[in-house]
Amino acid sequence: MKLSLKASQRLWTFAFLVVPLSLYFVVVIGPLLATAWLSLTNYTFSAFASPEFAGLVNYQRLTGDDYFHTSLYNTLIWMVAALVLPTGGGLILALLLHGRVRGANVFKSLFYLPITISMIVIAQTWQWMYQPDWGLLNTLLKTIGVEKWKVFWLSTRGLALGAIIFAWSWQQVGLSMVIFLAGLTSLPGEMLEAAQIDGANYRQSLRRIVIPLLLPSSVVVIALAVINSLRSFDLVWVLNEGGSGSSTLAVQMYRETFKSLRAGYGSAVSMVLFAIAAVIIVIYFRRVRRLEHLYD
Amino acid sequence: MTELAGANIAARERERAQNWSRRALYVALIALVVVYSVPTFGVLLSSVQRDREISRHGLWRIPDEITLENYERALGGTNVPNYLLNSVVVTVTATAVSIAFGVLTGYVFSRLAFRGSEILYLIVVAGLFFPPQIVIIPLQQLFSRTIINDTILVLIVVHVAFGLPITTMLLRNFFSTIPGALREAAIIDGANEGQILLRVMVPLVLPALAVLATLQFTWIWNDFLWPFILIKNDAARTIMAGIVLLKGPYDKAWGLQGALSVIASLPTLLIFLFFQRYFIRGLTFGAVKG
Repeated sequence: MKLSLKASQRLWTFAFLVVPLSLYFVVVIGPLLATAWLSLTNYTFSAFASPEFAGLVNYQRLTGDDYFHTSLYNTLIWMVAALVLPTGGGLILALLLHGRVRGANVFKSLFYLPITISMIVIAQTWQWMYQPDWGLLNTLLKTIGVEKWKVFWLSTRGLALGAIIFAWSWQQVGLSMVIFLAGLTSLPGEMLEAAQIDGANYRQSLRRIVIPLLLPSSVVVIALAVINSLRSFDLVWVLNEGGSGSSTLAVQMYRETFKSLRAGYGSAVSMVLFAIAAVIIVIYFRRVRRLEHLYD
Repeated sequence: MTELAGANIAARERERAQNWSRRALYVALIALVVVYSVPTFGVLLSSVQRDREISRHGLWRIPDEITLENYERALGGTNVPNYLLNSVVVTVTATAVSIAFGVLTGYVFSRLAFRGSEILYLIVVAGLFFPPQIVIIPLQQLFSRTIINDTILVLIVVHVAFGLPITTMLLRNFFSTIPGALREAAIIDGANEGQILLRVMVPLVLPALAVLATLQFTWIWNDFLWPFILIKNDAARTIMAGIVLLKGPYDKAWGLQGALSVIASLPTLLIFLFFQRYFIRGLTFGAVKG
């Protein structure tokens, strides 16, 4: 018996999808639902007690948990900083390097090289900057004669988070630059020339033409920066384990779950993280899917 | 006449001003890139100095003597070469399998749409945005009940699953740019979907495969979270988790830490040097992962 074309296509479709999608649902979607369930229980990893339904107790406890408030606040600060430092810095670098700068490719490579380096190595790199005794920053402070040069960058409240976010931005700026550069390259050159002939100066053409046309790239850059800021675990963990008021939601989730073994409570922190990510997913799909063809 | 000469002078003046501003821009860029590269330089500097020297004179100076001792120490033991080997196996396998899966799903979502396939596609692509923390606990519990628990197979499985959103999205977009007539012609020639995919479609998306290979290799190699959480057995540890683990006992072994960082970064740096074009293309194409 020969299968009809339609039936044969159905069969192939099934064959192509079954393994990859099963894996995806078992490893990603299933556990996501399981986390949602665990966040409503008092699970503690105990082999003797299975998770017991506890309603919204974990979420209620979150509202009164100062450590959680710090983590949430820091995560939001991080998201805002992500919009300013790497995004703004990347835009400036892209504008400087776009056009006829000799050796632009070498400059570009040097700026985006850190993207290819692991956060673990980035953390190491910045430890040599922040080390109290001989780190670069303190060495500089000492050299210019600052009396109290021994600043504990990573273990002083109020400094630690900023120091970590700065190191993170240092890596991420190359990523924003690359995406903005791609956006700039797709700008119609004639438009800028026409503006120049009409007597527009650099600042005018920047504000009226370049920035508006970079909007689609900006959406991608911003979505990326925010999502990456939500994932911020590696860098914080290696630099100071979320101490000195530098904890983020991702760090707290790890601490509650694997240090304090409060898996139910840790799951509730995860769900807060997921709620923030979900907002971004919705915004992204609303805005970027319309703009997607620009990157095809 | 005078008007024209005046315009000429004005034009020359403007050109001169432009030359100057270009030179200023150039100097500023060089200064910027030097400052920007300083942190990277510090790691190189620490890797070739003795800890003794660093604790006595600090790191940031021209070293009296350059030594490769730290590198010998890093590679001399059994741990680090083993971590590196695990990283290679996990990264290469997971990269290849996640791309192969992406070819299958991307093709279906682009050419074999069915009722509900759009929703399914969105569910897969939404995975791009999931912070991995949100699945850690159940996943760990799940793996602990299987025979692959605490082996590198766990890491491969996780990386393949989490790689599926980006590979699916990128390949779907690539497949969509291929003219439908090619596929129809193949169908008329009696080819089935398997043959069409393998013989007609895949050869046309080779650049996309190169893009994905560079991206996936870099991300998987650099990953720390999964081996950190899912692997307790030292024999199955990868290099990034290994580096962090070694920091504890070698707290003051700055040189060793520097050397390990350099060694662990070499593979992705080489990929970057040779396949930069693909790497950048990937980042700007479906860029939603860091």
